[in-house]
Amino acid sequence: MEKLCIADRQFDSRLLVGTGKFASNQIMSQAIEAAGSEIVTVALRRVDIENPDDDMLAHIDRDKYLLLPNTSGARDADEAVRLSKLARAATGIKWVKLEVTPDPYYLLPDPIETLKAAEILVNEGFIVLPYINADPILAKKLEDVGTATVMPLASPIGSNQGLKTRAALEIIIEQANVPVVVDAGLGLPSHAAEAMEIGADAVLVNTAIAIAAEPVQMAIAFKKAVQAGRLAYLAGAAAQSKQANASSPLTGFLRND
Amino acid sequence: METLIINGNEKQFPDALPDTLADLIEQLEVESKTIIAEVDGRIVECDNFGKTKVTNGQKIELVRFMGGG
Repeated sequence: MEKLCIADRQFDSRLLVGTGKFASNQIMSQAIEAAGSEIVTVALRRVDIENPDDDMLAHIDRDKYLLLPNTSGARDADEAVRLSKLARAATGIKWVKLEVTPDPYYLLPDPIETLKAAEILVNEGFIVLPYINADPILAKKLEDVGTATVMPLASPIGSNQGLKTRAALEIIIEQANVPVVVDAGLGLPSHAAEAMEIGADAVLVNTAIAIAAEPVQMAIAFKKAVQAGRLAYLAGAAAQSKQANASSPLTGFLRND
Repeated sequence: METLIINGNEKQFPDALPDTLADLIEQLEVESKTIIAEVDGRIVECDNFGKTKVTNGQKIELVRFMGGG
């Protein structure tokens, strides 16, 4: 299958995975492997001085996976830019998943601050993958300032509700000239498949894999769903109709009327 | 007594401040290779921890990667 191209990199996998909420670093690492992902997201946080625990980066093979730091926790553009710079200093990589989520209940992204931060970061040489609401106009504006992708949400982060924004996602996909990565709210492999069927270039999944009873099995399920959805998109879906259209011949029945 | 604000909390040093950021991190028993520091809003990469002097009242942030989506 053709590769996913983001900025100057090519990827075989169209499933990005997040590393949050796993029961252990070992399970996280096994799930990433099982998902066949090549891009994994991480968050930047203060070290707990009283209790500095196991370093999670030790469990991610940096030669195999592109680390995509997010700016989660940022409430405005300034905080997102600060986090991006810290992440770049820590990893030496300039890729960033831009998240600006001032609202703690729905974690919906702030479009104005996101656009502002994206412009600053692109100008400073970052490869910016912005998390946004499924807003086609915002997606175009981000593309215009030079983001590498757009990452519209399917439904609120960690909500597992699936493609609540489908109609808007379809418009974004139709209009985008950068890869569209559907992010957030994909709770089941069928949700991921649906996103791929409507033409998303990739999806990002975290919670649905991390908190499944068997995260490694769920990672495999998502991997297959993403592949199936992509194949279906490329194959071209048959049109829907209200009435039945017989699959079997309507002639030669074993009767004489 | 000399103090530092580390990750938002005031920490007092009854004897003396650590000489450098590397000394401070060692004293805190944090694995230094995977963290990144900000001293009074200025980013310090781990290669420079040993060269960065620590002075009274500085605001120091020590951050690292955690699981996230």
